[in-house]
Amino acid sequence: MAGLELLSDQGYRVDGRRAGELRKIQARMGVFAQADGSAYIEQGNTKALAVVYGPHEIRGSRARALPDRALVNCQYSSATFSTGERKRRPHGDRKSCEMGLHLRQTFEAAILTQLHPRSQIDIYVQVLQADGGTYAACVNAATLAVLDAGIPMRDFVCACSAGFVDNTALADLSHVEEAAGGPQLALALLPASGQIALLEMDARLHEDHLEQVLEAAARAARDVHTVLDRVVRQHVREASILLGD
Amino acid sequence: MLQKREKVLLLRTFQGRTLRIVREHYLRPSVPCHSPLCPQPAACRNDGKLLSSDVTHYMIPDWKVVQDYLEILEFPELKGIIFMQTACQTVQHQRGRRQYNKLRNLLKDARHDCILFANEFQQYCYLPRERGESMEKWQTRSIYNAAVWYYHHCQDRMPIVMVTEDEEAIQQYGSETEGVFVISFKGILNVNKHRAQIEAFVRLQGASCKDSGLVSDILIHGMKARNRSIHGDVVVVELLPKNEWKGRTAALCENDSDDKASGDPPSEPMPTGRVVGILQKNWRDYVVTFPSKEEVQSQGKNAQKILVTPWDYRIPKIRISTQQAEALQDFRVVVRIDSWESTSVYPNGHFVRVLGRIGDLEGEIATILVENSISVVPFSEAQMCEMPVNTPGNPWKVSPEEERERKDLRETHLVFSIDPKGCEDVDDTLSVRTLANGSLELGVHIADVTHFVPPSSYIDTEARTRATTYYLADRRYDMLPSILSADLCSLLGGVDRYAVSVIWELDRTSYEIKNVWFGRTIIRSAYKLFYEAAQELLDGNVTVVEDIPELKNLDTKSRQAKLEELVWALGKLTDIARHIRAKRDRCGALELEGVEVRVQLDEKKNIHDLIPKQPLEVHETVAECMILANHWVARKIWESFPHQALLRQHPPPHQEFFSELRECAKAKGFFIDTRSNKTLADSLDNANDPNDPIVNRLLRSMATQAMSNALYFSTGSCAEEEFHHYGLALDKYTHFTSPIRRYSDIVVHRLLMAAISKDKKMEIKDNLLSNKDLEELCRHINNRNRAAQHSQKQSTELFQCMYFKDKDPENEERCISDGVIYSIRTNGVLVFIPRFGIKGAAYLRNKDGLVISCGSDSRSEWKPGSLQRFQNKITSTTTGGESVTFHLFDHVTVRISVQASRCHSDTIRLEIISNKPYMIPDTELFQQSSLLLKSDLVKEVTRSVEEAQLAQEVKVNIIQEDYQKYCQTKGRSLYTLLEEIRDLALLDVSNSYVM
Repeated sequence: MAGLELLSDQGYRVDGRRAGELRKIQARMGVFAQADGSAYIEQGNTKALAVVYGPHEIRGSRARALPDRALVNCQYSSATFSTGERKRRPHGDRKSCEMGLHLRQTFEAAILTQLHPRSQIDIYVQVLQADGGTYAACVNAATLAVLDAGIPMRDFVCACSAGFVDNTALADLSHVEEAAGGPQLALALLPASGQIALLEMDARLHEDHLEQVLEAAARAARDVHTVLDRVVRQHVREASILLGD
Repeated sequence: MLQKREKVLLLRTFQGRTLRIVREHYLRPSVPCHSPLCPQPAACRNDGKLLSSDVTHYMIPDWKVVQDYLEILEFPELKGIIFMQTACQTVQHQRGRRQYNKLRNLLKDARHDCILFANEFQQYCYLPRERGESMEKWQTRSIYNAAVWYYHHCQDRMPIVMVTEDEEAIQQYGSETEGVFVISFKGILNVNKHRAQIEAFVRLQGASCKDSGLVSDILIHGMKARNRSIHGDVVVVELLPKNEWKGRTAALCENDSDDKASGDPPSEPMPTGRVVGILQKNWRDYVVTFPSKEEVQSQGKNAQKILVTPWDYRIPKIRISTQQAEALQDFRVVVRIDSWESTSVYPNGHFVRVLGRIGDLEGEIATILVENSISVVPFSEAQMCEMPVNTPGNPWKVSPEEERERKDLRETHLVFSIDPKGCEDVDDTLSVRTLANGSLELGVHIADVTHFVPPSSYIDTEARTRATTYYLADRRYDMLPSILSADLCSLLGGVDRYAVSVIWELDRTSYEIKNVWFGRTIIRSAYKLFYEAAQELLDGNVTVVEDIPELKNLDTKSRQAKLEELVWALGKLTDIARHIRAKRDRCGALELEGVEVRVQLDEKKNIHDLIPKQPLEVHETVAECMILANHWVARKIWESFPHQALLRQHPPPHQEFFSELRECAKAKGFFIDTRSNKTLADSLDNANDPNDPIVNRLLRSMATQAMSNALYFSTGSCAEEEFHHYGLALDKYTHFTSPIRRYSDIVVHRLLMAAISKDKKMEIKDNLLSNKDLEELCRHINNRNRAAQHSQKQSTELFQCMYFKDKDPENEERCISDGVIYSIRTNGVLVFIPRFGIKGAAYLRNKDGLVISCGSDSRSEWKPGSLQRFQNKITSTTTGGESVTFHLFDHVTVRISVQASRCHSDTIRLEIISNKPYMIPDTELFQQSSLLLKSDLVKEVTRSVEEAQLAQEVKVNIIQEDYQKYCQTKGRSLYTLLEEIRDLALLDVSNSYVM
């Protein structure tokens, strides 16, 4: 396979989407009864599970407690079977540490932490299948889980990735597109206000193009918001039926 | 909205592990169709290029066609092409970036009327690949499915033609959907030899075009419609409308007669077309003759460019620019075609080399070789260096390593060979013995050529190029150097030789095969028998012992013992062979009039005799053992390598070809049942006229002609039910027993060796050919075999002509002979002359329009009149009211003469001189086998040629004597030198000579 064509002349991507189209998103909230909040999300073939405990008292060293707000503790892990090649990923490796850090930054910006001083909120995210855009899937799953736990937030946090191929910005990259090695940008957005919770990009991209890619990512994140909003409303409706209201 | 599907891919990583990759695949309800006929342009969002609306159909090339013929699809004349995404992706993956970019540019270019249809992203066009379905099949299926969708999408208003090379696809989809045609556009131009000027046929390659239902060949009428294509080219043909279709003519006519306006009503019209393109040229070297002096002058003064006439009638005249036309007049010359301008009637060519004088034996033989593309240069030094040495000073020995690895049969088995007398290349030997457990053991031991010919060595490459040993009427050209073919690989008597053996264990009484063993062996043949001697021994005639050198020098007692052993073995062998033959006969094996000629050589390696198989039973015995070995080897290699074994198939014939045979037989009151090989064999056996044995022979040879040729093929490229060998009635067959003279056998030997090492779980040493390579090789071998057959036939005809050339047809007794009519045409009959084995045409109406008439004394005369042709007879009625009728299988007297031709080979002409059988005064002569005469004929021609040579030598001797007499300088004088050069006429020396 000599040089996979990421964007054909007719404007199709490898998997048949057009440049701005998202992969299919399916999500469910409240998948575990034991946890305070939980959610499962599928973005294309990327599947992630998020669980939220809290807010509760600080566990472990009390010294970590913050006097004015809650401590957000994020842990990321990925299953051995999540990638094509089966591989053990021990806790605390560089990648999951970094991911945990990113998630923490994202959610510290979104959760109203000042309402729960000296307490702790735990967010555990596990990736079951990785097919590109793991960060985005994790954020989206965690958002739903936090909502499920009933922790007050400023807004949804919706994340999406974007890339840049042939002068066109591609939204929601799949693994194939990521592996091709172009620039890749991850964006977590608070859609109502348009505020950016996190923006991350490793590769080099010309300044002139940044605007375009950012725009594509933001639009995709808003699309994600529409889907998540629908999921939440659906979930609330179902839950209220069960409660018998 | 979008639909999500998943594709599962299994990839192999560099470490050799399998990776399972799941990819998403999104489908959408509408993708741009780029057609002006689109019913919902809004949904399709057709922006950019649209297909033009004035085309008659859309063409969808299959992935293979896009891959291989992109250059053709690039023609701006081709309009309305829809490239399917599936096809484009294969180009991208398999042909690389360059080719793919070409395709992309083509699609972008607004001048080209072609579009891409993203069928794989279309909800209704996408087909998931099924489990176990090959990539190729899936691609073809996807493209076809998309074509059907597209057709319906355009509301069935535009017919769609899918062009593919895959015959299976044509079979499968050809008639599935109305309005979507699946065709293949390739065919090979086949020019009719006898009516070169007007008729040519194109045989379609697996075409089926359902609207016309045409399965037959397409007639190309006239030179203009042939559009500069030459015999053997692969061409694209356009069918003409039905009202322009023409029929083929059934009348006999001569090549050089120019009048084409024969008044015969043409037979029923057949599909007629014209060539619109040449896909692949098949230009080769052509043998031509320069026009004679008078003709040159008629071509005009400024004859720098000269039209030369090819030896092959089917090739048009070639224009050559030369100054030496006059000097080259009497020679056969090789030319090559360079180009053919679209404005020109003739192609341009250039001179390559001189073969020899017209009418000279060597020159004519060289002509035949060139025309059949047979190249027989002596083996090169590099090739000979690979050969083992076997000289009296340094004899070849069995090496100890080989002795360890091979089964040693030297002491345990009585091995012997039966071959024609004087045969040098003995490639098969036989053995039979009783085992300790009472069973019989039959062995066929074949020379182990592959031991000496490693794959891709120089000698292997050469042998592959030659593919077979060529037997001409008076000589042969070996495939392998004589050190192998006549010495080390020849299983001669009394010497140790390597062999590959097939050994069966048979039940003692029922001869059922219980066990089989294949492997390499060492043998020492005890006797090198010839057929006649073996038959004598079988018949209990012991006097023949004197002819067997191995027994001659023994004392009486041991000779007796040895002889008894041998006779027992021969008897047993015959018994077994009869049994196997009977078994095969029950399945419907055919016995046909074969053209298998064995060549007998004398001590000086000259061909002593061309001997057809004399009907001795021992011939059949040996043949049966070989067929058995071939059959078992075929089964073995097919089992071990189901996709890359070389087998030999003989497809069942088309029933329509048998109609002539049935008609002819009916004329004699026989019924030939051609439904299966069994019924055919039985009815041929029954069709025996006690008064005329020739009838049966003719019927058999007609049956042979109706059949297709047996071919080599690779098992990977054919369905299993097509493996069948019709003639031998075996399900699998191959050639294994003559590796000295056939390359296919060498391949089979290698396959067998690989199969044996596979059984032993050993690593296969040689790299086996892949299915594709093997297919290519089979095509080459088949091609060469055909060339060998043609050259043999042509050389025989050459000798026949040379034989009759010097005879005066009016007076010579030999030129008048008995003939049998075996086919009727509108203006003549085809006659077979059993005495010389000649087949030829005899006219009943001559060039002046006179017809034949036979008076009361049955002498024939030409008179004005008319001919009337019936199913199996032809009546010639003169204006005077006399009439004479010729029936099929009538015996007539014919006069044989030779029609000399300057540019082509001479042909035999037959003239009916009486409608009564010819009575030869000397009955003894009549008794002689015709074929013995054939060998006489070869001998006589060779002798006369030798005499001519001798005469020349004498002349040289005289000159030498002159030297001595007049004390001239030794060596050649300038005079003779120039004289010789003038003879050769390669240089235009006549001027310098005058000076």
